[in-house]
Amino acid sequence: MNDKQRNNLNLTRRDFLATSAILAGGVMLAPGLAWAAQKKPKEIIVRAWGGSWGEALKAGVADGFSKATGIKVRLDFTEDNEIKPKIWAAVDQGRVPPIHVNWDTTTNATISALRGVTVDLSDLSNLKGLLPLAKPVGLEGYPLVNTYAYVYVCAYRTEAFPEGPPKSWNVLLDPKFKGRVALYDDGIGFNPISVIVGGGSFADIPDNMEPGYEFYRKLKANKPLLGEDADFTTWFQKGEIDLACTISVNARAAKQSGIDVAWTVPKEGCKVDTDGLWVPKGLPANEEYWAKEFINFALTRDAQQKWCSMLGLPPVFPGIDPPADLVGDVSYPTKPEDFEKLIRVPSKILVENQPKWFAKFNEIFQG
Amino acid sequence: MSGFNDRVGTPLASAKQSSQFPVRWRILDAAERIAALIWPRSLYPYTGYLLLVPALLLVFVLVIGLVYIGGYSLHELDLSNYRLKESFSLTNYYTAFTSATYRTVLLRSIYASLLVTVITIFLAFPYAYLMVRARRAMTRKFLLISLFLPFFIGQIVRAYGWLIILGKEGLLNNIIGFFGFSPLKLIYNYPAVILGLVQYMLPFGVLLLAPAITAISRDVELASESLGAHWCRTFIHIVLPLAKPGLVGSSVVIFTLTLTDFAMPEILGGGTTDFIANSIYDGFFQLSNSGLGAALSMILVTLGTAFVVVIFSIAGTGTLGFSKGAE
Repeated sequence: MNDKQRNNLNLTRRDFLATSAILAGGVMLAPGLAWAAQKKPKEIIVRAWGGSWGEALKAGVADGFSKATGIKVRLDFTEDNEIKPKIWAAVDQGRVPPIHVNWDTTTNATISALRGVTVDLSDLSNLKGLLPLAKPVGLEGYPLVNTYAYVYVCAYRTEAFPEGPPKSWNVLLDPKFKGRVALYDDGIGFNPISVIVGGGSFADIPDNMEPGYEFYRKLKANKPLLGEDADFTTWFQKGEIDLACTISVNARAAKQSGIDVAWTVPKEGCKVDTDGLWVPKGLPANEEYWAKEFINFALTRDAQQKWCSMLGLPPVFPGIDPPADLVGDVSYPTKPEDFEKLIRVPSKILVENQPKWFAKFNEIFQG
Repeated sequence: MSGFNDRVGTPLASAKQSSQFPVRWRILDAAERIAALIWPRSLYPYTGYLLLVPALLLVFVLVIGLVYIGGYSLHELDLSNYRLKESFSLTNYYTAFTSATYRTVLLRSIYASLLVTVITIFLAFPYAYLMVRARRAMTRKFLLISLFLPFFIGQIVRAYGWLIILGKEGLLNNIIGFFGFSPLKLIYNYPAVILGLVQYMLPFGVLLLAPAITAISRDVELASESLGAHWCRTFIHIVLPLAKPGLVGSSVVIFTLTLTDFAMPEILGGGTTDFIANSIYDGFFQLSNSGLGAALSMILVTLGTAFVVVIFSIAGTGTLGFSKGAE
């Protein structure tokens, strides 16, 4: 290196300050510049659940995002299990996936992450400061981000329980309610609880599920209905059932629409789980960018407050007060003692075992 | 029409003369020349086969899909990444045949298919007979419209119609309640699924029976009766045997449609009376196990095909086409 070259590398104090200022400004303006640099698509498609779920996402996140960016958000109500193979096939075949953002259960999202079809979200600016619940467990980075927790409660028709809410999940076996109890058609939300109410313990999960299967065998005699979210609301509305294990959102939505439904967390506890958002691989760069920005927007305080308050679920943004009707409700856990009454099975265990549990559940109820 | 007789001549004269033809003629001539290039006159005898090409292509695509499904069925799911393993295995078929669930579901589907076929044919036959033989045009039209009306209402809507009628707060239970009885559990069980399927299949049954009954000459029945046969004997010994092509055709269609049905068990079954199509759906979508879903699909296709082959070999193809009986 000659003197001239060396002289060229010598920075004066003034040069250093000027360069630093430019760099700092660049870093500060980078997100804004990126916003400006990325061509906006006319719309982004977000897969969502229908009914009160979709309404909450629209009012809480989609409308605000559209207002802030000018990008229209279209909600796609394809069943979560049905969109999954469509996205997988698109990614595998190098096609553009049918949606930009998938609002998914954490278990399903984890399965998609394991398959390698999710975009890493680690660079989202709003991840900082969220509750630890936001981070997917057992996965590197953020192939998905959890957005809130929810509880599979014991929902019941108050008319059928004049002496107060049921205290134990054993009420499902009461012959008085034969043909008038309901579970999810894949056992989701109740599998871990069945083990405990069947005489086992949390430690038995997943190696010894037999107490749960034994409970299911007894429950079969009571002829339960098996369905999806929308079915529970319809069944309560049409007076077909008195009792169901369903997500508190469905029970609350039914109650808000005038149906005689309440919910409780029985002494054996309830399963708590999370939902999340993720972006499929294979989108054009600008669309992927805005899809990620949608998720980033969903993690802001305002969006989390509005979205989760409408759902009646605890968000991952800290310090947000529960809706007035859910203050002190264990199905909206906020305190450590609330969580003690709830059971959370890690996603990894759910992903590895759910197919086996489903097979057994089917064997018992279809057999 | 000037010019037609002057077509033979020097090229220059011919060109000059043809330019005097109306534009429409010249366009048609050009179109004919292009058509002759694409499909020469020597190939004219095969024109009929050409019309088959689109249908054959569709079937070919279907077969390709089936080959792929057959291929998937030979790969086990890897739960660590939810992809099918590279190695070939019969694990999915082993699961399908050894699982008590799939055995029950398969037997339930077959039993329902037989039951629905028998009940539907039993109900469709008198309907079709009356529709064909009714003397008054008004009666025939009424029966025909009543038959076609459900076709305009999809299967899902019809299933929900049953929920409204048979539900706990439905029409029937309201009537029962009016007379002071407790409501009955009429939906979300196996009989409800069978009922929904029979109603769905009835138009298919009637429409496939009607041509066969139309082909039976009224004179044959009159001859039988004039020889002293009671209507019952005429029905058993004349009408029924002559209607065999229709019975075969409608039985095959009803059986296979029922065997592969998804919506009725899903909506009216309450989640505990799945058919094999529901299990296939679960395999592909709920379990994300395309290998297992594909294996169940292959079993269903094999089962349906075997049934059709057995029926066709015993009774011919009936109104569906090319049997000796139809000749």
